[in-house]
Amino acid sequence: MNAADALLLVMVGGLTAYALLAGADFGAGVWDLVATGPDAPGQRRLIAASLGPVWEANHVWLIFVIVAMFSGFPTAFGVVGGTLELPLALALVGIVLRGSAYVYRAYGGGAAGPDHWWGRVFAVASTVTPFMLGTAGAAMASGQGRPGDPFAPLRSPFGLVAGALAVAGTAFLAAVYLCRDAAAGPATAHLIDGLRRRALASAVVAGALAAALLPLLWLDAPTVADRFMTRGMPFVVVSALGGVGALVLIGRRRYGPARLAAGLAVAGVVWGWAAAQYPDLVVGQVTVRAAAAPPANINALLLAILVGMALLIPALVLLFRVFAQPEPPDDQ
Amino acid sequence: MILIPTITAAATAGNPRIAPGAGTARAADLLAAAHPLAASTDLARAQTGFSLAFHICFAVFGVGLPWLLLYTEGRWIRTGDEVWYALTRTWARAFAVLFAIGAVSGTVLSFEFGLLWPAFMARYGGALGLPFTLEGFAFFFEAVWLGLYLYGWRRLPARWHWATLFPIAISGTLSTLFIVAANAWMNVPRGVREVDGQVVSAEPLAPFTTPSALPQALHMLVAALMCTGGAVAGVYAVGMLRGRRDLYHRRGLRVGLVTVLAGAPLQLVIGDWAARVVERQQPLKLAAMEGLYRTGNHAPLTLGGFYDARSGQLRYGVKVPDLLSVITGWSPGHTVQGLSAAPAGDRPNAFVVHLAFDSMVGLGSALILFSALVAVVVLRRQRAGRRPYLPTGRWWLLAAVATGPASLLAVLAGWEVTEGGRQPWIVYGRMRVSEAVTTNSGIGWAFGGTLLLYLGLATALGLILRRMATGGPTYDADAPRPPTRGPVVTTTAGNRSAAGGAPVDEPGAGGRVGRGGR
Ligand code: HDD
Ligand code: HEM
Ligand code: HEM
Repeated sequence: MNAADALLLVMVGGLTAYALLAGADFGAGVWDLVATGPDAPGQRRLIAASLGPVWEANHVWLIFVIVAMFSGFPTAFGVVGGTLELPLALALVGIVLRGSAYVYRAYGGGAAGPDHWWGRVFAVASTVTPFMLGTAGAAMASGQGRPGDPFAPLRSPFGLVAGALAVAGTAFLAAVYLCRDAAAGPATAHLIDGLRRRALASAVVAGALAAALLPLLWLDAPTVADRFMTRGMPFVVVSALGGVGALVLIGRRRYGPARLAAGLAVAGVVWGWAAAQYPDLVVGQVTVRAAAAPPANINALLLAILVGMALLIPALVLLFRVFAQPEPPDDQ
Repeated sequence: MILIPTITAAATAGNPRIAPGAGTARAADLLAAAHPLAASTDLARAQTGFSLAFHICFAVFGVGLPWLLLYTEGRWIRTGDEVWYALTRTWARAFAVLFAIGAVSGTVLSFEFGLLWPAFMARYGGALGLPFTLEGFAFFFEAVWLGLYLYGWRRLPARWHWATLFPIAISGTLSTLFIVAANAWMNVPRGVREVDGQVVSAEPLAPFTTPSALPQALHMLVAALMCTGGAVAGVYAVGMLRGRRDLYHRRGLRVGLVTVLAGAPLQLVIGDWAARVVERQQPLKLAAMEGLYRTGNHAPLTLGGFYDARSGQLRYGVKVPDLLSVITGWSPGHTVQGLSAAPAGDRPNAFVVHLAFDSMVGLGSALILFSALVAVVVLRRQRAGRRPYLPTGRWWLLAAVATGPASLLAVLAGWEVTEGGRQPWIVYGRMRVSEAVTTNSGIGWAFGGTLLLYLGLATALGLILRRMATGGPTYDADAPRPPTRGPVVTTTAGNRSAAGGAPVDEPGAGGRVGRGGR
């Protein structure tokens, strides 16, 4: 394994962290969007309380991956920027609206329009962003993005189903994580049953979408599909076991371990995709070897990442421990 | 955003690997109007400039506010004085909102570099990798500790809560240094070896060691502190102009005003240093800054005026003979390079750059003047033992209100100098803007969308910040207790009754009795 491969591994790690942490934040936004019934305000408060301290940090994993990509594989970043501009631009709009709507709702006190408007913006943007990112990832596997045809990635059924799978996956993660947060205090305990139903429903939807995606993968991304059946298989197994395990654990009200299992279910998909993608970065357009920056630069990056992570991880652990229990929702 | 007409676009469009400087200016001139790439270059530049300008208006607070909070919350912890607590709480809320907008607009930038300038990123992304990666970590750090700070009021002991500001402030500062180093390298690119337009090796540390890095980074850092101080001072000066002259407002004004006024003279020194580096490394940028057409000795310095590209003259300026030669080389015989040294297509737009440079220096000088006047008054009052030391008459307050917008304008003008003066290069002497630009259609849509989205967000933000800024302090009934048990000097009631401008300014020694009391 050379330096470029090592950097790629680090990027997959960053992407996994993004999918598991920010993914759950997005999914929480999806549930915010569809919150109904007399419990809806309570659900929204629970969601807000568990996002507050961490969403900003969770979001930076994306920046980490982007920066590592353009520093380590600059040519690939050029190709991605020139072919996936539409899904990426829409994901960006989603990210911008989501972040600002979130703080406007939390701190605005109605000064810039009713809070529930911003709540809606937050929720819609939380749904659009994972969809677009999923579509972009699919286009990297299929190589369907073409310069001069920004709509190509959004016309592909494979891309659209992958986007939907991303939304379902984040919703599943969020429902499982929120079960645990709701179970943490008596004030929110009555929300658990609804969240359990949501976890089950999103798991079923995600499973169905994954099943629908497989034939499309063969059709639209044969190169990756080939590798997926061999290299990707162990990860698919991990993912399936994680998904089933999470549901069983939720059934038994073991929400802490269920979180872990749900994380594995999503991480398995990311890893399977990454393994099948290698050594292409965008299939048919650019490979790891062709895109890599000069070795001295990659080594410098790896060193910087090593030192940076050594400083960062303790801080992250502290953050998650201090906020392990969500604050009682009425006390911001 | 003022656009500099892209003249060289067409000449190099057909062959992206054309050697730097090979574009023949005249042919390019003729082709530019007709070639679609020119339009897309202009749009891409407008979009980059707009998004960067938007981002920087919020990012400066991410750099400056933690340092101010470190002071105010530190005072609260030492004295237990509610006024410091109220200031801290208000600023922390504003910080939360500003940070989030800085974060999302910064994310847009990191994508935009790839979406708008794919060839630039493809070629030099590796060379700039280290500063950008370190920058990423600095953000990460800032975001993590900020989460602890903003949501940890009740979960962390007061001293620990205060201490989380250190990593926030330090990583905000470092992020400025890192990002500006990347920009400094684009201005003075060192340490890359290229064969056929392919980077074969790039020194990872080059962005930090390039001569423009240190002056630029320090200049930006002080600028960020000045913008923060000025904005804070302005908020409380407005409050005082409306008759709220309580301790809360006076202290808020003092912290902000001292910050911006202390920065102003420093900025002159650092800016002068930056200009000397520009003279050596980017002589054409200096010529554009000064609107100097002819190369030669006895170069004059022109204050103000508008550069006319057709005649190469500055109109309506005040010309001081020989001064430019003297400033740059300490002798009237020193030769300064003029714009005429380069073919027309390789010159930056001196009209814009000179105007921007004069605006920055003019605003900077005005701030220095204000800071000198305030210093004189403060010294005299201190000698006479008259409190409060800061002058708070109507005109003084109006001037204080202006410091924030003046600093922010100076920042935007300064960036126009840096980026506009680098034209037509995206990486000075190595890659032209026109070689770097995307060939995507649809940038017009993207730009229009960005404009609308950002304007909408900025309006909403303005409304929210106005709500936070107006009105007196909010003292939470259930505020967390400071670690001090000493006598709390200012109470809410006392504070209100001080509205007439009572001279008590500081809790003084009394407030510190209980220091370390637990
Ligand atoms: C509060 C803001 C502020 C103030 C008062 C000043 N500047 Fe400035 N200036 C900036 C904010 C700024 C900036 C926005 O931060 C820039 C843009 C790029 C950079 O590194 O700093 C800048 C750039 C910049 C450059 C270009 C550097 C380059 O392209 O490499 C020069 C030569 C100066 N400045 C010189 C001055 C002088 C002589 C000033 C005298 C008062 C001055 N600046 C005041
Ligand atoms: C690391 C920091 C920065 C980098 C890498 C960078 C990069 C770029 C790029 C790629 C362009 C487009 C090409 C060009 O016209 O030259 C540009 C233009 C521009 N940037 Fe920067 N920039 C940086 C910092 C800033 C900041 C902080 C501002 C502040 C507002 C700024 C203001 C502008 C403006 C106004 C333009 C348009 C220039 C023109 O009209 O010609 N830049 N910059
Ligand atoms: C080309 C120029 C730039 C790029 C690509 C860029 C990129 C970014 C990104 C991705 C973020 C989000 C980080 C997060 O989520 O926490 C961010 C935030 C930030 N940026 Fe920039 N940035 C640029 C210019 C600058 C400049 C010149 C400054 C210097 C003052 C600056 C200071 C900050 C700060 C302090 C933050 C943290 C957010 C805040 O405090 O508001 N950025 N930037």
